Parts: sequence; C-alpha cells; structure tokens
Amino acid sequence: MNKFKLSILTGALLSSSAAFAQITAITNATVHTQTNQGVLENATVVIEDGKIKAINPKSVNADITVDASGKILTPGLIGSMNHLGLIEVGAVSRSVDAYDKSGIEFDPSSAFNPRTSLIPYARKGGITQNVSVPSLPWGESGVFMGLAFVADLSGEFDSVTDRRTALIVDLGAVSGDASRGSAMQSFVKKLADQKKKLTSKKDKKKDKDPSSEEKLLTQVLRGELPVVAYASRASQLLELVALKEQYGLNLIISGGDDAVLVKEQLAKAEVPVIVSAVSNLPSGFDALHAHLGNAGELEKAGVKVILNVAGDGSHNVYQMRFDAGIAVANGMTHDGALKAMTSNVADAFGIEGGKIAVGSRADVVLWTADPFEFSTRIDQVWINGESVTTESRHDKLRERYTTDSNMPHGYTK
Amino acid sequence: MHIFKPSVIVLALSTALFGCQQDTGPQKDKVTIEKNPYPSTYKPHSTSSTLITNATVLTGTGERINDADVYIVDGKISQVGKDLSVTADSTIDAAGKWVTPGIIDNHSHLGAYPSPGVESHQDGNEMINPNTAQVWVEHSVWPQDPGFNRAREGGITSLQILPGSANLFGGRAVTLKNVPSETMQGMKFPKAPYGLKMACGENPKRVYGGQGVAPKTRMGNMAGYREAWIEAAEYKRAWEQYEAEYAAGMNPDAPHRDIKLDTLRGVLDGEILIHNHCYKAEEMAMMIDLSKEFGYHAGTFHHGVEAYKIAELLGENGNCAALWPDWWGFKMEAYDMSLENVAIVDAAKNSCAVIHSDSDTTIQRLNHEAAKVMYSANEAGFDIKEEHAIKWITYNAAKSLGVEELTGSIAAGKQADVVIWDQSPFSVYSKAEKVFIDGAKVYDRHDSKYQAVSDFMLGQR
Repeated sequence: MNKFKLSILTGALLSSSAAFAQITAITNATVHTQTNQGVLENATVVIEDGKIKAINPKSVNADITVDASGKILTPGLIGSMNHLGLIEVGAVSRSVDAYDKSGIEFDPSSAFNPRTSLIPYARKGGITQNVSVPSLPWGESGVFMGLAFVADLSGEFDSVTDRRTALIVDLGAVSGDASRGSAMQSFVKKLADQKKKLTSKKDKKKDKDPSSEEKLLTQVLRGELPVVAYASRASQLLELVALKEQYGLNLIISGGDDAVLVKEQLAKAEVPVIVSAVSNLPSGFDALHAHLGNAGELEKAGVKVILNVAGDGSHNVYQMRFDAGIAVANGMTHDGALKAMTSNVADAFGIEGGKIAVGSRADVVLWTADPFEFSTRIDQVWINGESVTTESRHDKLRERYTTDSNMPHGYTK
Repeated sequence: MHIFKPSVIVLALSTALFGCQQDTGPQKDKVTIEKNPYPSTYKPHSTSSTLITNATVLTGTGERINDADVYIVDGKISQVGKDLSVTADSTIDAAGKWVTPGIIDNHSHLGAYPSPGVESHQDGNEMINPNTAQVWVEHSVWPQDPGFNRAREGGITSLQILPGSANLFGGRAVTLKNVPSETMQGMKFPKAPYGLKMACGENPKRVYGGQGVAPKTRMGNMAGYREAWIEAAEYKRAWEQYEAEYAAGMNPDAPHRDIKLDTLRGVLDGEILIHNHCYKAEEMAMMIDLSKEFGYHAGTFHHGVEAYKIAELLGENGNCAALWPDWWGFKMEAYDMSLENVAIVDAAKNSCAVIHSDSDTTIQRLNHEAAKVMYSANEAGFDIKEEHAIKWITYNAAKSLGVEELTGSIAAGKQADVVIWDQSPFSVYSKAEKVFIDGAKVYDRHDSKYQAVSDFMLGQR
C-alpha cells in the first residue's frame, strides 16, 4: 500500500525555500477577509515581507503564484486559553512550564518552546497564532494565575509575538474551605488599592517608583491590559460587568456556561466571552445552562464570541475548526464562527492578525472547501508570509508503519 | 498485594484432600453461584411497526443502500431494501436522510462519573488496591446522569460502562441500553456478557508505586496480573473439583466463595470478556501472551494509541482495538499518536477496529470521530467509504461487547436500534433526528415529547 502523500512533501519543500523576500500571489480564491470587505470571490491576495501587500491589485509580478480556484482563503485561526508551547507531555512534569503559583506577575513566555511537537500538529487545523496562558499547579487554588502571551506557530525562535497580553484571574467555583466571595474580594481589593494609589499620588512629593505589580495593575485600570476572568455563574458575570464599569477594565470572560442568562448585559457592556462550542453538560452548579446552542445565542445577542477547545486544548487545538462546525449546526452563523476563531480573538486580546487586510500579518490558510468540514483539507498555510508545512511526527509514524520494507520498521525514516 | 489468603489456600487444599473421603450419606444442598444476581429488568416496549422510507442506509456491515426502506416490526428489523411493499403503523419519509444502526460506545463512564462532576459522584474507580476484580461498576451507575440523554441525542443506543484504569484489575463492566430508567437494571442490556476492566502501563504503577505499593513498574504490573491469574486458576480448579465430586454423589465441602475470584474465573470460563486499557504496542503484545499463558482471550484493547504498530498481530489474535481518532500527549504512553491509527488497525486481516469515546462529550458525536479518521486516512492514501467507516461505531463495537448477534447492524432479525440522521453522519453539521431502541422511538429532535430530561435538570433555573 502506498499511502504517502505528495502534498506533504510539497509543503515541506516550500517551507525551506521561503527564506528571502518573495512576492506570493494567491489567485482566484474565495477570500473570507473578516473585515468589512466581507467575502471576495475570485480574488487575488498578494503577500510580501510577511504582510498582506495587496488585495485584488490591477497587476502583480509575483515570484510564486498559487492558483486557488475553487478554494477558500481565510485568516489563520487563533487558538486561546491553552498551554501551547508550555507543554509537551502532560504527565511529564519537566516538559510542562504552564503551572506555577508565583501569582499575578507570572509571565511564562520565556519558557515558550517553538520546537514542541504540538506546533506542527496544531497547524494541521489551520492554527497560525495562539494565546497561551498559565495555570495554577494541580490542586492549588487562587485568584491570580499570571499573564498570557501570544506566539505564532511558525516554529521559529522568534515566534513569541506579544508578551504580557492579558492578566488571567480565576473567579469561578472553588473547592475546599474557600469561597468565591473571597476570591472576588481579593480581586477587587487589588484594583481598589491601586486605584487609590493612582488618585492620591499627585499629593505626595516623595513617590517611590511603582513596583512591577503596581505598573501591571495600572495597565489593568487603564484598560491597556485585558483581564480574562474564568467565571460561569450568571450572577457573578453581572458582578464582573459592574467591575468593568467601575474600574474601566478591558474584561473578557472565559467559560461562561451560564452566560446565556445575562447575554444582553454582556453584549451591552461589550464583554467578549470565550466558550467551548461542545460544552453542554452540567459539569457543576454554575453550568446548568450549558448547551450546544449557547455560542449561537450569545452571537445573536451581540456578544463577541471567541471559540476555544475544551479539555486538553493544547494538544487538541487543531480540532477548533470542527467545534466551529458544531456551533454552526446549532445556531451560530458561519461567518460568526469564523470570526470567533480569527478577528474576534485578535480584537479582544489586542493582537495583530485575524483578518485579511492590506498591511496586516500574512497569516492565512488555504482550504480545499468549507473550513469547518471534516472532508475539507488544508491546501497551504502561510505564517508571517511564509509557507509552512503541516507535517508532524505523527505523519512520520504513520509512514513508518505503512511502508513495506524487508528491514525492521526502525530503519524506515 | 493481597491475593488468595493463606487460610483460603489451606481450605481449598483440605477440601481437595478430604473430598474423596467424604461420607456417602445424603448429600448436603449443592452450593451454586448465582451468576446473574442483579438481572436486567429492561423490557423492549414497542409492539408497533415502523417503516422508514427512501433513506440512504448504511447497514453497519459494510453495505450502503441508496433510496432504501427499513421495516421494523415488534422491536426487530424485519426487512431492509428498496421499495418494500409492506404496511406499517407509522411511516417516516426519510428522503434525503441517512439511516444507520444505533451507535455503540464500548468505553464510557457515564453514570459512574456523572455530571455534575462533584465530589459525591466520583464512583468510577475503586483506587484502594491494584486488584479490585470484586467491584461491579453497575453498582455505581446513577441512571439520572444527564449525560445519558445527551448521548442518546447523538445516536448512542448501547454503551458499555467501565470502571476506571487505576488498577490492574478494575472490576466488572456492564453494557446498557441507553433508555431512560430509574434503575440500572432497567437499562441493563439483556444477555450481554459482562466485561472485566484491566489496565496496563502508567496508571497502575503511578497510583500504587507512588504509595510504595506494588506495582511500581511495568514488570510489577505483569507480575500482578500473573499472580492473580494463578490464583484464579486454582479457584476454578477447586470449584470444578467440588462440582465433579458432588455430581459423582460425594458430599464435598464447597470452596470458600470469593467474589474477586468469581470474576477472574468468569474470564477463564469464557463468560466474561476482557476490556484492557493498554496504550503501547509492546504491552499489548505481552497481554496477548499473558492471556495464552492462562488460557483466556485478551479481548479488546482500549485506547491503544500504538495499536497501528502491531495491527497484524491484533488481527491474527482476533483482538478488537477501541481507539480515539486523535487524543494524545497527556502521558508518555499516549505520545506516539497517529491520526490514521484506526484506519491502519482496520486494514489488517481479521481486524476489529472500534472508535470509542471515554468521554461524556465525544460520546455525543462518535459519527464525527469516525469522520475524522475516514478523511484523515483518505488524505493519507486510504480509500475508506462511509459504509465501511460506520462499522467502527456500530458492528465492530457490538462485536467487542459480544452482542453483535443482537445489535449493531441493520439486518433482518436484529434489534431495531436505529438512527435517522438529517444528512450524512460524516458531515460536521449532521445531527441525529430520530433514535429508536428496540423499535421504540426514544428521541426525536423535532418533538419534545421524545426528549427525556434527567431528574437532576428538572426545575433548575
């Protein structure tokens, strides 16, 4: 049986040949811009120096022309709220850098490993950027988890594109002898104390330089640093909306199984909500309204929805596009689901990418058909303007064990 | 590890020694072991006939019939084919829709690890000893787990509930019909054999080795299984001797009853099927040899992330492999994943590839899981069609559970466990529209009368 796949080879060759500045033209594509240009048919997208150089130019002199007739070009998908780059094998502690209890200032970005096997695998799902987040160690509870960062999935050593992207706080259900009341209190106290320092500061002459934590909290209070709050109970979400207004927070909710109960308030307060499209079980008493239709309902109410992959979202982020299909089957619009993995993520976290517009990052994916369908395959992926392979060690394993050889498999490479 | 207490061995031996010296007076009552003390009370309740017309039918046995009719009478498939000329109590026009056998998940923890996942609901894993063959997971099943309803909405008509994987021997598994019920017995699949959960690899050695108790290593795992089977073989021999002597008119004392060894003996007698959590190629190969050493069949390997490395061996030995399409990387033993694992296992001669969930989420969409595998494999050069891929979640799953003569296919005489899909179940947008179990409609997406709600969810707001 010959199960070797030619397109994988082609992808591998392309990725190694794109070292110098070339002009790539993707022609005749159906382009989902995720801007107010909407969907362009038979369009040409020109990539140069890592950026989208032009869309539908009068003429183009390209080094590489990719005929995308009958194919769909979308912005690269952006994963979020996982530990991509901070984890290789979950149960191998020395390969995991996501869990730490240093608290509010914990910035795991320097531990990011661009060579992890998870990255080429994630590219199979059209993921081109990712918002990685820290967590507390297993069994620990606390409010402040640390800071998120953004990396592209080029696998290059310079792939961290944004550090200190958002502050992650956990205000959800707590086990043991603790109350979500005290979690909220300690969050509010941090905000209130810093606000007081900022407003009373001008009266005092002998100010010390603010500590790094104080600087961070100042950014939070100025709305410069988004705060992602894990919370699901509807009454708590309303409290958070009130806090956003009181302190000028740039608030994002993650989880939000019961967010549908307060969807109008969330929409009005312009709070993006990160949900899993497949969360539909009452995992606890904060999630009695978990439902496959929730992503669509939130969208309809005007909430900016972001999709992420539940469970082990680091190893499995590739399947986000399928989750989007499930969201669409249950009421979300197709365009809304694509936004929920591209422009909505970029907008909420204030990062570059997530759209196909002149001047934006050239992270784009060419699909053979509807990006959400199982039958659709990826034709090519460009990250930062360069064509990258979607081959991973998983493919090498398959090839090894499906290649006929008169020698032991160990010699098939 | 506590196995066969010395006193029991002495008792067994003394029984053997003195057996032939028993008096020949009137025999005492014979001691027999009730093998089905918690019997199924599930009764198929459909006596009406249903005709599904003009559907794309995947039979579950590799066939696809376009524009076909399925005729259900008294809870059984009566006929399947084109233009059936029969009359039915109700007719469903399924033009444009697809019909498959009811979907079967041979690896679930619903009811034992139910939603909500609160402390009081952690009933799936008796993590107190590496051998807990004495526990029966059916005694943990909470029939009100809302997950059963969600699974039914995804077309699941039968499922095996397994204990967890911390122990070398985790206990007995049970196969259920996915019908709403107040009792476990009301769901229990009549005539389905019991399963025994075994576990290889990292979990047992981590859980017990971490407490300074055997097993601490993979070789410790193997020693643990072997010691247990030696004990079980001795137990079986003692009972068989008792039965033979009793039948010969003697008056022997019955061996001491041990419910842990009852289960292991059930495996040696071929009455209980092995379901073995086992990821790695070399471990599965050793579990096959272990089964030959003690004279039982190694059954179904679950998770089997490396099954593709030994696909031929699994086929030769007649093992099913119940696999995920794509879970990986959470442990070292789950590192060598291939998206084509199921397809490679399936391609071997005499194979039995199954897609399982081990998840209260993906159990709701095993059709999607099969679609992922089919399309990944086809991209890699395979040529797998829907009518074949559906076997992984229907007929092959039934075979793994020993119920393939009863369900898992659309063929005359089989239980009418049937799903009508709104389109090809291999589309991401597909949804189960109607689900039948033994001919009775148990779910209808467009009729709330057929949408069961768990007691737990009732009145919540």
